[in-house]
Parts: sequence; C-alpha cells; structure tokens
Amino acid sequence: MDGVVQLQRQLLDYTALLFQEGFLNDQFTQLQQLQDETNPDFVVEVVSLFFEDSERLLNELANTLDQQSIDFRKVDSHVHQLKGSSSSIGAQRVQNVCIAFRNFCDAQNTEGCLKCLQQVKNEYSLVKNKLETLFKLEQQILAAGGSIPM
Amino acid sequence: MAEKANRTHPVSFESPPSPTEPMGSHLRRVFNRISGFVSPWGRNQAPHGRRIFHREVQQEEFQYPSNSCLSSYYSVFVARLAIMVMLAILIGLLTILTWHFTRIYTTKSINSLAYGLRYELLQRPILRMWNILNSTVEITTAQVKLSEYVIKRYSKPTTQAQQVELYEVMMDVTWALFASRKALNAITINYRNGFVQAFHRDHRSNNTFYIFSDLTNYSISGSYNSNTLSSHQGWNDQSIHSNISAIWYHVPLDPVSGERIGKPKAIPPDDQINIAGLSQVPDGVASWHVAVSKYTDSPLLSAALPVWDPSNQSIVAVVGVTTALYSVGQLMKELVEVHSGHIYLTSQEGYLLATSTNAPLLTNSSTGPKLMMAIDSEDRVIRQGAEWLQRTYGYKFPPSHVVHVENAKLGHEHYYIDSFFLNLKRLPMVGVIIIPRKYIMGKVEERALKTLIILISASLCILVIGCVCILILTNGVSKEMKLRAELISHLDARRRAEASSNYKSQFLANMSHELRTPMAAVIGLLDILICDDCLTNEQYATVTQIRKCSTALLRLLNNILDISKVESGKLVLEDAEFDLGRELEGLVDMFSVQCINHNVETVLDLSDDMPKLVRGDSARVVQIFANLISNSIKFTTSGHIILRGWCENSNAYGNSGKFPLNQKASRSALKAKFKQHRNHAKRACKKNNKMILWFEVDDTGCGIDPSKWESVFESFEQADPSTTRTHGGTGLGLCIVRTLVNKMGGEIKVVKKNSPGTIMQLYLLLNTPIEGAGQHCQLEFGEHSLVVLLALSGSMGRLIMSQWLRRNGVFTWEASEWNELTQILGQLFRARSSVPNGGLVMQCLPSEPLKTEAPNIQDTRASVFVIIVDIGLLDWSTDIWREQLNFLDKYHGKARFAWILNHDTSNFIKMELRRKGHLLMVNKPLYKSKVVHILEAVIKGRDLEMQGKNVNGLKSTRIEGDLHESLEIDSTHFEEVASSDDSDRSEMGSHKSVNAYHFAGKQKDRIKKPCPSQYQTANSCLVEFTQVYSTENNLRTEDPHQIRPNSHDAGNEGHKLMCNKSTSPLTGAECENCRCQEQHLISTCPKEHGNSYSGKTVNGQKSLEGLRILLAEDTPVLQRVATIMLEKMGATVIAVGDGLQAVDALKCMPGAEESRGKCLLQDGRTRCQTQIRDSLPYDLILMDCQMPKMDGYEATKTIRKSEEGTSLHIPIVALTAHAMSSDEAKCLEVGMDAYLTKPIDYRLMVSTILSLTKRMA
Repeated sequence: MDGVVQLQRQLLDYTALLFQEGFLNDQFTQLQQLQDETNPDFVVEVVSLFFEDSERLLNELANTLDQQSIDFRKVDSHVHQLKGSSSSIGAQRVQNVCIAFRNFCDAQNTEGCLKCLQQVKNEYSLVKNKLETLFKLEQQILAAGGSIPM
Repeated sequence: MAEKANRTHPVSFESPPSPTEPMGSHLRRVFNRISGFVSPWGRNQAPHGRRIFHREVQQEEFQYPSNSCLSSYYSVFVARLAIMVMLAILIGLLTILTWHFTRIYTTKSINSLAYGLRYELLQRPILRMWNILNSTVEITTAQVKLSEYVIKRYSKPTTQAQQVELYEVMMDVTWALFASRKALNAITINYRNGFVQAFHRDHRSNNTFYIFSDLTNYSISGSYNSNTLSSHQGWNDQSIHSNISAIWYHVPLDPVSGERIGKPKAIPPDDQINIAGLSQVPDGVASWHVAVSKYTDSPLLSAALPVWDPSNQSIVAVVGVTTALYSVGQLMKELVEVHSGHIYLTSQEGYLLATSTNAPLLTNSSTGPKLMMAIDSEDRVIRQGAEWLQRTYGYKFPPSHVVHVENAKLGHEHYYIDSFFLNLKRLPMVGVIIIPRKYIMGKVEERALKTLIILISASLCILVIGCVCILILTNGVSKEMKLRAELISHLDARRRAEASSNYKSQFLANMSHELRTPMAAVIGLLDILICDDCLTNEQYATVTQIRKCSTALLRLLNNILDISKVESGKLVLEDAEFDLGRELEGLVDMFSVQCINHNVETVLDLSDDMPKLVRGDSARVVQIFANLISNSIKFTTSGHIILRGWCENSNAYGNSGKFPLNQKASRSALKAKFKQHRNHAKRACKKNNKMILWFEVDDTGCGIDPSKWESVFESFEQADPSTTRTHGGTGLGLCIVRTLVNKMGGEIKVVKKNSPGTIMQLYLLLNTPIEGAGQHCQLEFGEHSLVVLLALSGSMGRLIMSQWLRRNGVFTWEASEWNELTQILGQLFRARSSVPNGGLVMQCLPSEPLKTEAPNIQDTRASVFVIIVDIGLLDWSTDIWREQLNFLDKYHGKARFAWILNHDTSNFIKMELRRKGHLLMVNKPLYKSKVVHILEAVIKGRDLEMQGKNVNGLKSTRIEGDLHESLEIDSTHFEEVASSDDSDRSEMGSHKSVNAYHFAGKQKDRIKKPCPSQYQTANSCLVEFTQVYSTENNLRTEDPHQIRPNSHDAGNEGHKLMCNKSTSPLTGAECENCRCQEQHLISTCPKEHGNSYSGKTVNGQKSLEGLRILLAEDTPVLQRVATIMLEKMGATVIAVGDGLQAVDALKCMPGAEESRGKCLLQDGRTRCQTQIRDSLPYDLILMDCQMPKMDGYEATKTIRKSEEGTSLHIPIVALTAHAMSSDEAKCLEVGMDAYLTKPIDYRLMVSTILSLTKRMA
C-alpha cells in the first residue's frame, strides 16, 4: 500500500511539475475532470487522438515545407489545426510555438517556418514523452490497485 | 522609366535648335532626376530582415512618392517636349515654304526679265555693227559699180591724158561717195597698174585727205591685158610694196567741198591707210577684215571688192572701204551709261573690236598698233569676264557661241555673263555682255534676305510664344498629374500602412487572445470565490477589490485594442440608453477607494438638471472620465478631485463659445438659470433631444504649465518628462480621452484655475431619449422640513453637498471634526429644548450664516434631524469611539443617524453600529443619490411613525437593509452594465455576469446573488425593481413567502428605489427560510434553473439534458473533447468532420417541416411549435470555423439559405480560435447566433447553449 501511496505522490508531483513547467495547462485539468465512470479512459483516448493527429499534421507540414514552392495557406491550416488540438488537450508549449509558427506563416518566412517546425516537433515529442510517462504512472497505480488521485 | 527618359535625349538633341536654351536646362534637370532616381533604386534592394521591417516600410513610404512623382514628371515632360518639337517643325516648314515660293518665283520672273534685257542690250550694238557692215558693204558695192562704170567709159585708155582723165573722174566719183558717208574712214582704189587713189578722213583732227601715188612710175598699158585670172598671183601685195619706190602724195581737202586746200605732200607709201590690194580679193568676192591704223585708236573694219573690167574677165581695180568701229563703242558706252555693266565685241579669235569702256583697244608694239585680245584688256571687268569665259569654256564654245551664265563670280562680285555670236562671212564676231548681278537682282536679293529674316524671326516668335503657351497649358495638366501622382502615392502609402496595420491587428488579435484568456480565467475564478460562503469579510472585500481591478485591467486591455480601432477609424460608438448619473457614481465609487488611500477626496457634483437617461456609448463615456480622474489622482497628493457635470441645452449652445474661465461664477449662474427655467429647459430638451453636457474634472494637483495645455492631449505626451518615473503611465490616457470626446462631438481643454491644480473642461453632445428627457430627479424635500447635519471630514464634498441640499430646501449644518459636531449638536438640541417656540439664530455655526432661514427653524419641532456622520470623525486609535458612539446615542431619539463608512471599515464596527441601532450606513464617497436615499429612508420612517403604524426596530432594520442593499446593487449594477456594454463582453465578463446578461437580455429580469456577508445572505435573492420591470415583478409575488405591504410599495412607487422582494421581516432565524425559498423558486421555475447557475451548484451537471447537438469539428481531439463535455451534461452529440457533412446531416429537416405543417393544421400554434422542436433533428449546431471542404462560415450560409422561407432557425454557435471582435462580427454576419473561443470553456459553452435553446423554447 505504501508503494501505491508513493506512486500516487509521484504522480501528483509529476503532474504539478508538468503544469509548472508549462507543458500543460488548465485545459488538461478540464479533460481530467471530464473523465468519469462512463468514460474511464477518456484522457488517454483524447491524448492518443492528439498524438495521431499531430503526427499526421507534422508529417504533412514537413512534406509541405519540403517542397520548392511552399503553399503557405496549407501550412497555415495545418498549423491552425495543430494549434486547435494542442490547445484542446492543454499542451500549452506546443500551442505557443504554433502561434509563432502561424506568424511566420503569415509573413511567408520559410526559414522561420522551418525553425518553428523543428520547435514544434521538439515540443511535441517532449510533451508526448511526458504524457506517456504520466499515463504509465497512472497505469502502475491502477495496476497496484490504487485509485488515481485528482 | 529610366529608359523612357533616356530615349528623350536624342529626340531633344534632334529637335530644331531654336528651343535649345530651355531644352538645355530641362535636360540638366532630367539628368539630375535620373541620377537621383537610380540611387534609391539601389537602396531599396538592400537586404532586409524582418526586424527592420517597420523602418523599411517607412523608408519606402518616403521614397515612393518621389519616384512616382518623377515618373509623372517625365511623362509630362516628354509630352511637352513632343508638342514643342512638332510645333517647331511645323513653323519651320511653313517658313521655308513661304520663303521658297516667294523667292523662287520672283527670281524666275526677274531672271527672265533680266535675260530679255541682256539680250536686248547686246542685240543693239550687234545691230549697229551689222548696220556698219552693211553700209560699208553698200558703199563698197556702190564704189565698185561706179568704178566699173567709169572704167568702162574710159576703157582702154591709150594715152596718159586719157588715163589722167579717168583717174580724175574716178576721183570725183569716189569723193562724192566718200563725202556722202561721214562714217567712212577711207576709200581706196587700187588700180591694176599700181596706181592708188584714196580718200581718208581723220576723225580725230576732222581733216580729210586725198592720197594718190605718183603716176609716173606706172605704165598705162600692158598690165590690163595680161592681167588674167590666172595671173592673179601677180596682183599681190608685192606689187604695192614693189611700188615702195613710188611717191605718195597727200593733199588735205576741205571736208565739205572737197576742194584741195593744200599742196600735195609726199608721204611714205603705207603711212596713213591700208590700201586694199588684190591680195585681199583673191577669189574676186568681197572680203572683210579688221585692221588697225596709226591714226585711229579703234580698230577699223575694212571691206575690199574687186572691180571687174567690162568683159568681166579680169580685175581692173580693187576698191577698199574702211570704216571705224568707233561708233559701235560709242553706242555701247551709251547703252552702258543707262544700264550699268560692260559690253564688248571680239572677233572669233578673241581680239577686241569694241568695248563699252574707254580702255584702249590696241596695243602699241614696235611694229605699230595691234589688236588686243580681250583677256589682255585694260578694263578689269572685261579682262576678268574674258578670262572667266576662257577658263570655263576654253576654246570649246557651245555651237553658236551663246552663253548665258547667271552667277559668274568675277573678283568679289557676281555678274551675269551672256555672249552672242554674230556669224559674218569672214568676220565672225562674238559679243559679250557682263552685267553685275547686283544691278538686276540686288534689290530682289536684299528683299528676299529681309523677307527671310523677317520670316525666321516671326516664326521664332511664334515658336517661343507657342512653347510658352504649351508650358502654361500643360502646366495645369502637369500640376494635375503631379497631384494625381501624389494621390496615387498616397493611396499606395495608405495601402502599405493598412497592410502594416493589418500586421498590427493580427498581432493584437493574438495578443488579445493570449491576454484575455488568462484574465477571463482570473475573473471567473474570482466569481467562484465570491460566491463561496466560507469567506471572511476581509477576504470577501479583498476578492471583490481584486475582481474590480481585474475587470479594470481587462477593460484596459480592451481599451488598448480600441485605441488601435480609433486610430484606424474603425471605432463605432454605440448608441444605447444608459443612466449617466449612475455610471458616474459607480466611477467615483471606484476611484474613491484609491483616493482615500491617497488622502484625496473625490467628489461628484452633478447638477439636478442633468438628464437621467442619455443615449450614447456608456463604456466610452465612462472611459473618458476614468482616464481623466485617474490622471488627476496620479498628480494629486492631497486635496480633492471634483467631477462636475451640468447641462446646457442646445438652445444655449451659442454661449458655449465664450465659456467663461471663471467657471465657478458662471456655473452657479447657469445653475440658477436652469433652476429658474427648469421646466422650460425640459420642454426644450424634449423638442431637441441633442444635449450638450458640460463636465469638468477639477483637482488640486501639481497643475499643468499653460504652454503644455494643448500638447498634453497628444499621444505619448506628458507635461513633465519625469512623470513616467514618478507616476508611471504611457501618456496615452488623455489622447484617448480627446479622441473619444471629439468622436462624441465634443471638445476638451485645460482651463485656467486660480488655485493650484488643473481643470479639464469638456463637453459632450449626447442624445437624450425623448421619453426619458424629462426624468430629472425631482426632489422635494422642502415640504418635509428636513434638517441635515453634515459631519464630514472632506471639506469640499461637504460644502458642495450642503449647497445642494440647501438649494433643495433642506437646512444644513456642517461639521468637519468631532468637537465641532458635539458643539453643534449641543447647541442645536439645547436651543430646541430651551426655546421651544423661539427663533434660534444660528450664529454659532461657523461656516454658514443662515440668518435668512432662521425663522423656519421655529418649525424645528416638526422637522426631522438627520445627522450624517463620517465614520472617520470618530477616534479609532483607542476605545474612545465607543464613548463617542454612546454620546451620539443620546440623540438617537431626536435625530436620525446615517453613517458614512470607509470601504475598509471593519465588520466589527459595522456590527457594533447596527447593534446600537444605527442602521443607515453608506460607503464613501457621499454623493447625491446616496443622500437622497438616506433622506427618503428617513422620511419614510417618519411617515410610518406619523401614520402610527406598528413601528419597531425591525421595521427600520428592514428599511435600512433595503437601503443598504439598494446601494450595494448600485455598485454591482454598475459593473454589470459596464461589462455588458463592453464590446467584448463574452470574453471579459465573468461567466456569471455573462449569464446574467444573456438572461437579462431575454427575460428582462436580473437575478443577482451577491452574498457579501452572513447577514446579507438573508436578503440574497434580490430583484431590482425599476418602473419598467415591475410587471415581471408580479411573477414573483406568487410566491407565498413574498408579501409586500401595500403602503410600503406605494411609498416607494414614486421614487426609483430598489426594493427587496423578500419584504417579510427578516431575522437571522429566517435566513434559512429564505434560502429554502430561493431553492424553491429555482425548482418551481425550471426554465430559469440553468440561469441561476453558480460554480458550485449541482444543478448545472445535467443542464443540457435532452438536447441534441450537432458538432462540426475537424480536429479529432477537439471533437472528442467537446463531445465528452456535452455528453457529460446530458446532451446527445452527433459529431461530423466538416461543414459539408454538417449540411448533409441537416438535410433530413424537410420531413420535420412537413410534420410541422400537419401540426399546424391540426393543433394550435403554440403546441405545434413545441412539437416541431421535438421533430427537429438537432437543437443546436456547434460549428468550427476553419474546416476542410467547407468551412463554418460557408456551412452556416448554406444552412441559413435552406432555412429561408421557413420559420425555422437552428441556433448555430461558432467555435473559433481567434478572439477578435472582427471574427465575431464575421460569425454573426453569416448568420451564426453566438460565438465561442477555443479552447472551449465549458461553463461558457453551457450557458451559451442554454440561452440559445431556451430562447427557442
């Protein structure tokens, strides 16, 4: 039982750290609040949706930006979607980079866009790692028979 | 363009030289322009980064106009140049043509004339020559005939005597011929035998001689017979010369009679004349030759004819006639004297025969005079002419020797040279006439030259004038072109500026989104906190303050956005009705908190004639005063800030120009005037509902230097550079104010103030609603004979308040500190008790001599004493305040107390006051409406007393409670109005207030639940009763708990008081009851159930039960989140991926429509509507704006189009990631009903959905 308590504390600390470091924001809390008995895996579901969506978008972005003549409108809509989905799960840092990305996109600045794409990928992999760790912790707790503290 | 300019160069160089001078300067300018033109071109292409973008834009803005100006300048210049060149060419052609024709034709005609003249001139000497020749020939022939005749008579002379006789006869005959012809020079007869007879006339000496040879040497016979044709050779010159030995005699004769007048003198044989010999007539025909003689200086023409013997077989003698050509020369001279020029005749070989000059024709050589060649003539012209002819033609004269040369240059002059050939047998002659060209053509050429010069100068003049005209004419055009170019460049600059301002607004959109989201969160959380019951009072006050400040901060953010709006000219003022007084009171309430900390008194002084309701943009009006007051507070460390307001109706508008600086006097004058004509003014306002409202903000701060009175209203301008350091601020505030004031048709300025400080004076032109214009606060306290003791620490506020009260018929005393208060109280009540009927003269009052009003004091028994005490007057440092309260308690029965609390007055003190029965409490600052409330409460209390009803403490508690609440409501209401009037209300307002707003808009009902303290929770469920809403009010009265005493109601009806709906006596015990009642109320009114949403309520959980919502969202994450959110609240969600699917999903609607039609037929309308609602596939659509295939805007348009003609209207809520109001406007424009921003705030979403679906229901 001690282990569970420790894991629970670890989870809380980790979550707090994520908030503190700005990886996540209130939106994530809202997601968590939405999770209940009817949707027990809601957060994981949404976040994995986010992962799929983001990976697809990032690939498309990379492809689009790789071309000779860049279709900035396409890039813009992709970034917009990415921004929307990241803001929906509360991945704040991805969202912030997306904002900068869109600005470069509006200015048709290829260099800036590429730089931002790199940043977005970076942030995305960071937040993905963090969230995966978080879910792993949660699963460990559940496996240990404990409940996830909110 | 540079090329174009370059191309003009060759053109301008090719153009006629006449406009060279202006052209030169033009060219120089063109070159300058071009060189200046190339350099910025290079500069423009300098690589630039994003960071210097703004500067670059500016640079471009500066350069661009000059470039386009240049281009237009060049085009104008080129056009001008082209026109000038064409003009020049035209005029040049005209000139040349004119000159050519005039000259050519004159020259031609004159030349033909001249030719005729020359021909004539030459013809005449030649004719003379011909005459001479002819006469010579005639004479010769005559002589020959005579000789033949004579010789025939004396043929075969055999004797000497016969011979002599023959010679005598011959001499006589010959003399007769000779004498008849004066022109003859000589006649000679050379006989065969060598005898010679001759007459000679010397023209110089006019002597005539007879010359004969000595007969002795001649044989008479012999020679005649033997002289045959074959022996012609023998008759040669030798025969004469052989007679050299013969003696020649020379006898002078009388020229008339022929008598010998002298002795014969012997002379050498050929001394005087040529004797024509046989050699000259070898073939027996007449011969001619030109000879020279010693005695004449002109050549002689000799003709010789043989005299045949009768048998005509042999020549017996030769007759020679010599004529001087002198007369020809004479004629030529005569001719030349009339017509200048030179004429000469030459033989074919070139020997001069006659000239028109006096130059000698013969040369004296050693062998005697000889004929001269024309080229050797002493006369210069003749020599040169002959030389010229020889040079030109040599000896190859054209056939017939006719030469006509019109322009031969001899020496330095031009001459006409014409030659004619006179072909005489054996003596061909050539006549040459040389006439100076000047003589014939001189005048003509001079004229032609003059004409040419005149023509050229005239055309130059025309050209110059034409150029000037073109310049003048095109100048206007070029000016217009320049203006147009400038306009174009300005437009372009504007376009650029707009583009850059687009970046700015994009930036602001992002900014506002990023900034307002956290602010909305802060405010929302604060609202939750405020609704929390477990807060202590201090915490509550703090949180409220935070809430206020957050709202202010949010407003500031919006203001910054608005400024950019104003600057871009996009600000549109709202035109909504609002309560000006209340807005300003709220403002002063807000600032007074700040001011109390600063030890500054905030006073609101609005005149009574101010309209209650005005139309305008309340938020902007509040913004104006908020900026002004905050500005004043910044610079005022002690003293007061007064916000004055008064009204000037449009009729008095003309006076506003000379608005006196001495505002106090004028204002009171104005006030008096308005007071007198209040009713009149009211009518005027009704007629013309534009009103000029004057305001001034008067502070006692550091003041502004008069030189800066204008500039403080500029952006980023501060009166003192150190301001930012000490006070902070951006210098934008007053700029905003001025912009807004100007926008509202007003003006703002700083006016002079005698005492230290600043007065900002402004007026606004506001509409007053016609029905509301007359709703002035009609106060009639005079009849109640109220006496008010103002014990306030702030002197200014007290003064103003007492003045106002006195004007309204209320007697006032003033006290500024505790001691004064006790003194006045003592005097007042002692006087009253000691002199019940006596007139109390109030000389004890330090500030206000009220002697005139003293008689009224007689009535004091009937009057009501109201003592308004500032809580700051009490001594809080120790426990003395309890003593002081106890002291005041003594007067409790005699007077009513109203307490002015500070915002930080602790709850304990409030409770203590309440415990003591002091229930009238208002917060600082004190302004009119608060006093009105106090007084009304007092009057009401007294009325109740007088009516003898069961008056107990609770009653007054209630009243005061009401009062308190109403005042509370005042402040909250203010916030609400402020927030709801704000342009971005959905973002900035708290969830709760937005909630409230939505329902307020639809149901005209305002439910507020501010629960500031335990006590007040009892009064929690407040409904604001205004006149308008009184009908809604009745709904509530169903509630069995809510009993309204009619009397009270009636008492309140006349005034615009708020009334607590739970009018039943409220005690602490009933608090719970009231709560239940509230719950009950909520449960009985399920429709409003959701409206009374609060953060912690359980009711909100399933608030969307039964709703079917179509969610159109392409991002899977968002789709999922939103779905879960909505489902959690009980809604059924159908999610689609794009707008097209959303439209398709709605396609099943027509079926529903049909059922609706049936419904309509069958049932009543109302029931049917509800059924339709059930039959509709969806209750609401949540629509993402940016989606693939078909975006939200398009989808909405399609849906709305399909709804056309039906009464259906499915609510569509937009979901967008942008937070600019322009996006909102776009959403609403395409037909959406509401607007939510991402990330979805689920409370906001629920409230929005509810409001929309409820409206449908």
